[in-house]
Amino acid sequence: MLRRGLRNVNRYLLVFAIAVSLNFFLPRLMPGNPLALIAGVDVGLMTPAERAELMEQVGLNEPLLAQFFDYWKSVLTFDLGYSYRSGRSIAEMIGERLPWTLLITVGSLMIASVVGIILGGFSAWRRGKKTDLSLLTSMISLQSLPSFWLGMLLISIFAVQLGWLPSFGAETPASGYVGWERVRDILEHAILPIITLTILSIPGAYLTMRYAMLEVLGSDFIRTARSKGASERRVLFGHVARNAIAPVVTFLAIRFAFAFGGSVIIETVFSYPGLGRLIFESVSGRDYPVMQAAFLVFTVAVLVANLFADMMYPILDPRMRVR
Amino acid sequence: MTKRLTLPILLLCLAMLAAACSDSDSDPTTTAGGDTATTQAEGDTATTAGGGDETTTTQAETSEPVSVRAAITGDEDTLNPYTYVSGFPGWNLLMMQYDSLMQLDAAGEPQPWLAESVSANDDLTEYTVSLVDGVKWHDGTDLTIADAEFTFNYFIESATGRFSRDLRGVDSVTVNEAGELVFALAAPNPAFDLVALADIPILPMHVWESIENPGEATFDISTNVGSGPFKMTAYEQDQFYRFEAHSDYFRGAPSVDELVVVIFADDAGALAAIRSGEVDVGFDRISPEQIELLDAQDPLDIAQGPEFTTQMINIDVSKRPFDDLAVRQAVQLAIDGQDIVDTVYLGSATVGSPGWVHPGKTVYNPAVVPMHDVAAANALLDDAGYADSDGDGIREFDGNPMAFEYITNSSDSLRLRIAELTAEMLAAIGIQATVVSVETATWEEAVWPGFDIANGRNYEMATWGWSAPIQANTIRIAELVNSDPGIGFLNLTGFANDEADAISAALQVEADPAVAAEMISELQVLIAEQVPFIMLAYPDGAYVYNSEVYADWEFIAGQGIVSKVSLLPPSARP
Repeated sequence: MLRRGLRNVNRYLLVFAIAVSLNFFLPRLMPGNPLALIAGVDVGLMTPAERAELMEQVGLNEPLLAQFFDYWKSVLTFDLGYSYRSGRSIAEMIGERLPWTLLITVGSLMIASVVGIILGGFSAWRRGKKTDLSLLTSMISLQSLPSFWLGMLLISIFAVQLGWLPSFGAETPASGYVGWERVRDILEHAILPIITLTILSIPGAYLTMRYAMLEVLGSDFIRTARSKGASERRVLFGHVARNAIAPVVTFLAIRFAFAFGGSVIIETVFSYPGLGRLIFESVSGRDYPVMQAAFLVFTVAVLVANLFADMMYPILDPRMRVR
Repeated sequence: MTKRLTLPILLLCLAMLAAACSDSDSDPTTTAGGDTATTQAEGDTATTAGGGDETTTTQAETSEPVSVRAAITGDEDTLNPYTYVSGFPGWNLLMMQYDSLMQLDAAGEPQPWLAESVSANDDLTEYTVSLVDGVKWHDGTDLTIADAEFTFNYFIESATGRFSRDLRGVDSVTVNEAGELVFALAAPNPAFDLVALADIPILPMHVWESIENPGEATFDISTNVGSGPFKMTAYEQDQFYRFEAHSDYFRGAPSVDELVVVIFADDAGALAAIRSGEVDVGFDRISPEQIELLDAQDPLDIAQGPEFTTQMINIDVSKRPFDDLAVRQAVQLAIDGQDIVDTVYLGSATVGSPGWVHPGKTVYNPAVVPMHDVAAANALLDDAGYADSDGDGIREFDGNPMAFEYITNSSDSLRLRIAELTAEMLAAIGIQATVVSVETATWEEAVWPGFDIANGRNYEMATWGWSAPIQANTIRIAELVNSDPGIGFLNLTGFANDEADAISAALQVEADPAVAAEMISELQVLIAEQVPFIMLAYPDGAYVYNSEVYADWEFIAGQGIVSKVSLLPPSARP
């Protein structure tokens, strides 16, 4: 058991090392130059000497290998560095963004998984019937909606035409709200992004649950359960759902990890100040340190979520336990 | 159960479809008729457009504090002289908090501002400036000549940033016995008032003297002490800025008490917020197809006027076949600028002069006019021996088809349309331009690698455009065509021509404005003949604002409405 655990950890460390190294090289493989971001729009008016001085200030003149070494050093010492754009501490920036992102991503994930699992389970139970088919069709249609389109549509209906909800941001800018008023303001601003993300995430949870259920429903032990006279209710909750939940947990764990990456498109459409927006702004400006840090957070979240799912499997499914 | 579940889902899908349709339907209905905005498009003098007639309504309500919420796209950092990001609207927002010695008036001409008077000696190598009295910093202390002297020397010494570049060629800045500021220049500079005095923010010495290396320092907004009509009281990255009126402002208290600038991630979001009434004015230009749509919606109005940004096609003239003048001239003849103005800009632009200079500028040479003649273009190519020998509709050069990659930046949908349209025009003369839309940083890196023309070029054809300052200061025409990277550092097409080199080098140091104007005239003829790049259009600036909240926007020719002048009472404007 211990040796297996160690092997697992080694495997995760290897994946981590590869992913973190890719985080360094991918931004630098993109064409484009962070100089414009560092120097502002007047970069073209600078003399070559001024440009060289600037590159030296941010360490971009060093050989790539030396930069790579520095990068690993900073990763291992938990030093995320400073943004080219604002000169601010990246850890601080991520700390500011993460709560906003988690509010809308985790909020929508919770709603979407409850709705998706219930609908998926129900659909599988009624497989082949009209309910199942119409649900399945609706879900596949929902899944094919482009996210920016859905977001803009909801803005157009609920903000522009009806004027019920705010169309942008996480709070009313410079409102001076405090306490309960502020909470209310934040929730109002979160509604449209959460609805958008929820609509987009329900089909995933639904399809995973439905498929997992269908597989279990066809197994021999379900027939056995039925033939020994167990009630439908007991079969559904005691046998089918229990056995179908493992893949759904994996799915949710991964979705939860993705929540840390924010949603670049949704946060852009709603001008929401989350991690996705930070990634968007840093990619368009080639702000390498911020890109690296945001991707690092994301990498770690995905790995931790995977590890969590790995560990949950034996608990959820006794067959997975190894002696 | 079946019906209970499927119905809501079906209803949701139907509702979304219906809403999508009604939303897109509204475009064509409002584009018919209405000529409100476009009539002012061709103005070749400075114009004030938009809802000037509504000023009385806002003035009448001045008992209530006026709060204006403005939209920008993209963060501008802490908006001090070393942190603001973009030339527009970053610099404009910076200057809400600071004053310069001179300020542009509605015609775009610099007028004394913090300066009481500005005078220059005969050969334009020495400028003398006296200061107005009674100016206070946001923290209540007095602005003195010592602050001004400190500012210019600080920028000269720190040697990074736009304001240091403005002061290149300044030998010394001192205070004379009469208490006036004296700028000694190494060479005559007729545009010194425009490029330096009306551009550089005066800084408070007591705040900045302790900051030794501003290029490396990190700032919070406590540094943002200026003398301007607004002081920044809050900033949240990627969210908003909040400015409060500076009630002790030396030209009189601003007519707006609070300015909140909201930072959007994209312009679609900003427009939605303007339409929903969450934001009162857009500080980014709106696209031509939005003008009538927004103008038709009450209480939104449009401020529109000529601006000095340019749209052009860059071609690498150092490579075959564009090194051949006949090919460049044929390309220029094949392009119909009027069609671009009509089709892409829906009339809200001025056709590009092939000589670079905007027809609204005093130094514009009226002998240089746009020409469009497909037959003549084809004849030019035929005579130069570029035949289509295999009959595929594409001519050949040196055994290769005249087929080129034509890159444009994906974030600019107007440019993409221009690229598609001009590619069709080129097809009519047997040149195949394949439009490739790439992300902005990639496009920039191809056209202007490392923002240094010494790095060469990695493109064949590209859409391009220069921001307003390059056109506003007509002497900068030299930077576009000189083949010496020291002078022609904006020469992105690899153009080299002895005559252009000689005139542009002489232009940069010419003291006599009449002689300089003559040189600019000659350069326009030369550029139109030699075609270092192809000029397409000068798009108008159009801005949308909510006239119920604030309607007194001033359109500065070539600059637009984003300026402190817009937020001051008319009596306080230059």
